[in-house]
Amino acid sequence: MSRNVVVTGLGVVSPIGADIDSFWDGLANGRCGIAKDAFAIEDLSITLPGGRIRDIDERIDTLGPAMKRADRVSQMAVLAAEEAIASAGLEFDDETGARTACIIGSGIGGQGSFDRTYYDMLIKERRPHPLTILRVIPNAPASHVSIRHGLRGPSFAVASACATATHSIGLCADIIRGGTADVGIAGASEAVLTFGAMEAWNAMRILADETCRPFSKNRNGLAIGEGAGLLVLEEEAHAKARGATILARLAGFGMNADGKDMINPSMEGAAACMRAALQTVDVGDPAALYVNAHGTGTFLNDPTETSAIRSVFGADADALIVSSTKSMHGHLLGAAGGVEAIASILALNNGVVPPTINLDEADPDCDLDYAPNETVERRIDVALSNSFAFGGMNAALAFTKA
Amino acid sequence: MTAEIEKPLLEIISEHAVGLTAAPTRETPIADLGIDSFSIVEIIYEVEEKLGVDVPFNANENPFGDMATVGDLIDALDGLISKK
Repeated sequence: MSRNVVVTGLGVVSPIGADIDSFWDGLANGRCGIAKDAFAIEDLSITLPGGRIRDIDERIDTLGPAMKRADRVSQMAVLAAEEAIASAGLEFDDETGARTACIIGSGIGGQGSFDRTYYDMLIKERRPHPLTILRVIPNAPASHVSIRHGLRGPSFAVASACATATHSIGLCADIIRGGTADVGIAGASEAVLTFGAMEAWNAMRILADETCRPFSKNRNGLAIGEGAGLLVLEEEAHAKARGATILARLAGFGMNADGKDMINPSMEGAAACMRAALQTVDVGDPAALYVNAHGTGTFLNDPTETSAIRSVFGADADALIVSSTKSMHGHLLGAAGGVEAIASILALNNGVVPPTINLDEADPDCDLDYAPNETVERRIDVALSNSFAFGGMNAALAFTKA
Repeated sequence: MTAEIEKPLLEIISEHAVGLTAAPTRETPIADLGIDSFSIVEIIYEVEEKLGVDVPFNANENPFGDMATVGDLIDALDGLISKK
């Protein structure tokens, strides 16, 4: 008997809202969480546009001593997990804990702790804090969530740069489909708004000078944000048996690699990935398809992704609607696919397409309907969430209504 | 030696004792501090940083296994510092 995977819980921490209600309020109102900011450690500082979360310190304090001494990447994952698990109405006992997976990735891991440690060692000639290793390991977010809730099914971290959360969610769904778990917490967390990481990103010369302008001719790069996005996935019969509210179906998952280049995206790779995600989905009316684009606002991604969408959908590409919510929350790197999967599910259920803000100059190479600057009310039947990572790693998720 | 380091040690322990509502004394049971095994490693790190000493502690040797009170912890730390 085939096992279907449904979504029963959502949890988010993002620059436009640190819980689901405020995140959706931000998306539906085109709010921008990106601003120029100083990313500093002691006397070293770099000022760049970024999406920092400012209002979560008090909530982190309530998480107890184990989380107080964890890196921000784990703190944000735990905040998102608390919301996701509560919204799913789940309380884990010995039996359900053993059948619950916890797959939470991160593009980099505990970057703030790396910065702190190397600053102390190299500048101050001090020793590393004894918790450094436990703070920086990329599986720390997954471990903290697993430990807090006694989740003893498959648990690990995925790392595929900007496709991390999308891979995590897709792999978790495959694990549930395969029968190794009945429930899963899946997604990613990222906390790289630190001096060291922002200097390194800046060295690539791909960051926007003011803000993120996806699909706009005057786009000039990405704006990095921090946050976490997690889904509660559940085998359909399991969810129904406990009377859970089903928020969406995870109807398709595609993943592949370009196998070509560390930076330059491949139209063929992105298109093949979207096709794989839609293989198990009846798209039906193309006007009811929403694509939450990878839409980074870089010179190369946006026209390549546009061509890939045209390649997959042909003439129907002019009927569907696309948007890049990165224009509002920034690029959450590893966590991007998590918050964007949530944006996709909320768009599906609310019949509202969040806009691509800052789209103020049409680009002939980006010629789809990107919901420019204004929210679009429209019935959505299928929401496709794209993630295309550095290193040519692609993943896409397709959600349909409950 | 113990008297000299008692005050700073109590301050460091106090910062980690999330289970306490009042300041710890020598008589406070370790079980009441609300700390876990890793807190000991953090406390030792701070002792070394703040007091400028080396504490030759290896978490694998469990030298604090028989401690009952904060006083026992202070004496054990004092013993490790004096061993130097």
